[in-house]
Amino acid sequence: MPQLGQSLTRLDARAKVTGDAQYPGDINLPGQLWMKVLFARRPHARIKRLDTAQAERAPGVARVFTARDVPVNEFGLGAKDAPVLVADKVRWVGEKIALVVAETEAQAEYARDLIAVEYDDLPAIIDPRDAMKPGSAQVHPAYPGNVIKHIPIRKGDVAQGFAQSDVIVESEYHTPAQEHAYLQPEAGIAYTESAFSIDDENRVTVIVAGQWTHEDQEQIAHALGLRLDQVRVIYPAIGGAFGGREDMSVQIILALAAIKLNRPVKIIWSREESIIGHHKRHPMWLKSKWGATRDGKIIAAQVEIISDAGPYTTTSTKVLGNAAFGVVGPYEVPNVQVDAYTIATNNIVSGAFRGFGGPQAHFQAETQMNKLAEKLGMDPVEIRLKNVLREGSLLSTQTPLPGGKVSLPQIVEKCADEFGWSQKSKIENIVLSVAKDRKSKIGYGFACALKNIGFSFGYQENAWAKVELHGAAEIDQVIVYHAAAEVGQGTHTALAQMAANALGVPLEKIELRASDTATSENSGSVSASRMTYIGGNAIKGASERALKKWNDEERPAIAEYKYLAPKTTNYDPETGKATPNIAYGYVAQAVEVEVDTETGHVRVARVTCADDVGHAINPRLIEGQIEGAVIQAQGWTIQENFQSKNGNVLTPHLSTYLIPGILDVPDRVDSVILEFPDYNGPWGARGMAEMPFIPLAPAIIAAVHDATGVWFDEFPLTPWKVLEGLKKKLDADRFARG
Amino acid sequence: MKPFTYFSPTTLSDATRVLADYGADARCLAGGTDLLIRMKRHQWLPRAVVNLKRIPWLRDVAINAELRIGALVTLQDLVRAPIIREHFPVLAYAASKMAGVQVRNLATVGGNLCNASPAADTAPPLIALNARAVVVGARGERVIPLDEFFTGVGKSALAPDEILCEILVPRDDAVRASFIKLEHREAMDISIASVAVSLRNQKSEIKNQKCEDVRIVLGAVAPVPMRARQAEEILRGKELTEERIRQAARVAAREAQPIDDVRGSAWYRREMVEVLTRRQLIAMGKNVA
Ligand SMILES: Cc1cc2nc3c(=O)[nH]c(=O)nc-3n(C[C@H](O)[C@H](O)[C@H](O)COP(=O)(O)OP(=O)(O)OC[C@H]3O[C@@H](n4cnc5c(N)ncnc54)[C@H](O)[C@@H]3O)c2cc1C
Repeated sequence: MPQLGQSLTRLDARAKVTGDAQYPGDINLPGQLWMKVLFARRPHARIKRLDTAQAERAPGVARVFTARDVPVNEFGLGAKDAPVLVADKVRWVGEKIALVVAETEAQAEYARDLIAVEYDDLPAIIDPRDAMKPGSAQVHPAYPGNVIKHIPIRKGDVAQGFAQSDVIVESEYHTPAQEHAYLQPEAGIAYTESAFSIDDENRVTVIVAGQWTHEDQEQIAHALGLRLDQVRVIYPAIGGAFGGREDMSVQIILALAAIKLNRPVKIIWSREESIIGHHKRHPMWLKSKWGATRDGKIIAAQVEIISDAGPYTTTSTKVLGNAAFGVVGPYEVPNVQVDAYTIATNNIVSGAFRGFGGPQAHFQAETQMNKLAEKLGMDPVEIRLKNVLREGSLLSTQTPLPGGKVSLPQIVEKCADEFGWSQKSKIENIVLSVAKDRKSKIGYGFACALKNIGFSFGYQENAWAKVELHGAAEIDQVIVYHAAAEVGQGTHTALAQMAANALGVPLEKIELRASDTATSENSGSVSASRMTYIGGNAIKGASERALKKWNDEERPAIAEYKYLAPKTTNYDPETGKATPNIAYGYVAQAVEVEVDTETGHVRVARVTCADDVGHAINPRLIEGQIEGAVIQAQGWTIQENFQSKNGNVLTPHLSTYLIPGILDVPDRVDSVILEFPDYNGPWGARGMAEMPFIPLAPAIIAAVHDATGVWFDEFPLTPWKVLEGLKKKLDADRFARG
Repeated sequence: MKPFTYFSPTTLSDATRVLADYGADARCLAGGTDLLIRMKRHQWLPRAVVNLKRIPWLRDVAINAELRIGALVTLQDLVRAPIIREHFPVLAYAASKMAGVQVRNLATVGGNLCNASPAADTAPPLIALNARAVVVGARGERVIPLDEFFTGVGKSALAPDEILCEILVPRDDAVRASFIKLEHREAMDISIASVAVSLRNQKSEIKNQKCEDVRIVLGAVAPVPMRARQAEEILRGKELTEERIRQAARVAAREAQPIDDVRGSAWYRREMVEVLTRRQLIAMGKNVA
């Protein structure tokens, strides 16, 4: 019975719908204490005095922790450059100063407010474009000149390319920060065995929501000076992640308190603590110059990227690598020059968020393409078909795409067909007559993208899995061990379907023991659209090995497998030459918007999203990812307006940081799933969860231009920003008419 | 939240007595959808909280010569009550644009008014309908026209010992009213700007669209919900022409006193007053014709 290509019911559906599923905040242990964090809530300051005496004497307080209590007071994904608790210098608002642990949450909060801190506030370094100028004040001693990383890419000769161009488009773009706004704010509970006796080794267990159990384990062990095997990380149900749980939030501090107090310690962040306490999508400034010939061939692209990292590295250098790669879009361009910088500032830390640099880069690339199409009088679909990457095309990194078929031409055409792109002038006439009364204008936009699958640029992708087959004549039960985090995307279901398929058993026979460092080796992060692909390959390998043993009469048949992906290389430091990634996903979107030209409101009426997923393991889960990504990207483009002033967050609540509501989502999202297999993917599958996020912003911007004649080079498209743009155009038109 | 003393009186006089004792240190509790958030964020630290929900009759809706809305009537009651839907659909509509159903089931009209947010969405339509507030304090009862009820951001004409008991809305079949709330997102959002308009036409004057009386009330564009009196003046007693409507809308925009904040900039709010005023008057003019 085939298990792939079927929309089987998610393994966790019943528990989540009925409320049985246990999220970290739902888990309680006997004798637990509660923790509250004292955040700095100022962007840049020196601590002059920190006095916890009063807090320590407050009712119910078990202990107050400060920097002195952290054995190795440093952590961080890209570099261990951030303190767990600040000893002297505050570099962003979400920096942690002290922890209070008490019998109740209210007591912890009460005592936290008794901690006296005196600060010397320092001028905050806010605009990365200023921060990288010579003479700017320093954010972090590890980053002289505030440049955390510079990535150059040089292919061909752009000067020559521009000289040969018939049309040139130059623009300066800005893309905003974005809050993940997952349903479940950070929470967790940690315990040691003296208080909780299921473990017989001396270790601390942290039950928390994250994206990579083994990375959490490593970060906790490092900061606490423990061996890896002294730290166990377990993920229960997780309420969304989107990259926002890649960095450490409560992991280290919970483990610290638990080992010092030998009692379970629990924390739940409020929404406000979550919004100021974890990283955001990187704001970027992109300066761009593209040239094309009269017949629509792109021949040169020159782009400068400045990304605001906040004070610490986390994933900023990796996001920058992806952005530098993405700035030419899914096109073959003979002459490319990219200079990408990620800069330290005192803004909120930036980090991973669905698309990982791809959305910012593609907003620029796709808007450049749409502007070129306008200048050349070409259709946006036609100009894309002339330039998209195909098999054998050379990327800006001077290497071809791996994995066999490069389906971009098919994706673009299919998306246009399904949307009715070529008939849209007819649709327009009907809708316009309806909309006329409301001063509404209708517009259409198109964009496409490619996205890498997996971590790469020199890192060799890998994932581990173990499969146990129990039974006698027949396989009665399959136990699959895997560390993949089920963050809501459905990966556990997809992995189980793949195991069932490999073993030829129904899904009901699969029992997944997942997301626990004590029972699984490293399966890597749920990010970079990688788990179906990399994790799936591990499941496939382990299942095939176990099945062989089963056929050789071993009972139970047990096999482990570590999948090692093909090797990649990092950017050459001078030319950017690289074999950057092992696999890609391809996507195209067409959108219809309605603009109220008097109020500036933009409504997305319809989105068609065509996505090459290689092999649709579970089509309904894919549709869920497409619809979710479209809505999240629409929020980034229109509703979500993350505001900060001088490093302080002005929108720390969901009442001021507005994510789209059900009435704001498009009337229709048509998911078009295409399956061009990737040679190295499990059963040909590609990753897909980030792709549908990437083209939406430029597609909406193009549609708004189509409706109004105005190009918006920055967003979110708040109504006042739209109205301002429309007025500027009106003034310019009047002036032009004299 | 900080510790406080909780009172749950069953009579108005008991309630006003506690309020009189504690003065500015006491807060009434209706639905709590504003109060509890502020207390949890430590923005308000009352020593006493006085629950009003056990006082009878504050939840009634009744209609005679006037509509009487008890202060504890919930927003969801406003959305659903047949009397409101039939006679004052604008109130049902305005309430339906507020929060979501869970909050509307708790939130009260009285709380919305007493909280005195410039963006309180029940205020513009109620003021447009010429509503009055009946308040009771330790020294007795008084009636305050709703357009004099608000005195500043978060401030009302209520004395510390006074409770808003009900809202009276005159019944007048010649009056029609409408309301537009402008939000950044379509629901669950606080107004960037809002405008309520009421028009009174004598039946005989419907033909030439003469406007006998008019109220134009602006929300979220000044420290208090405010009437655009100069704009009203342009239309009062006149024929409702498109030209006049446009002029009145421009004047209303000039009268607004908006500020820049996270929800929008002052210039935008001002401009939206014009758009919302014009759109409603034109639509209402059309309905008359
Ligand atoms: C998610 C959410 C969405 C919201 N959306 C909107 C919206 O769209 N539009 C809008 O206008 N508001 C909105 N609000 C705010 C709030 O819900 C309303 O203002 C609500 O009507 C307040 O009523 P309440 O009964 O909850 O007041 P409470 O919180 O109980 O009281 C508010 C204030 O009024 C005082 N008070 C209450 N009743 C009386 C009385 N009878 N006499 C004297 N003083 C009194 C209290 O002491 C307190 O100071 C929203 C709130 C939330 C949480």
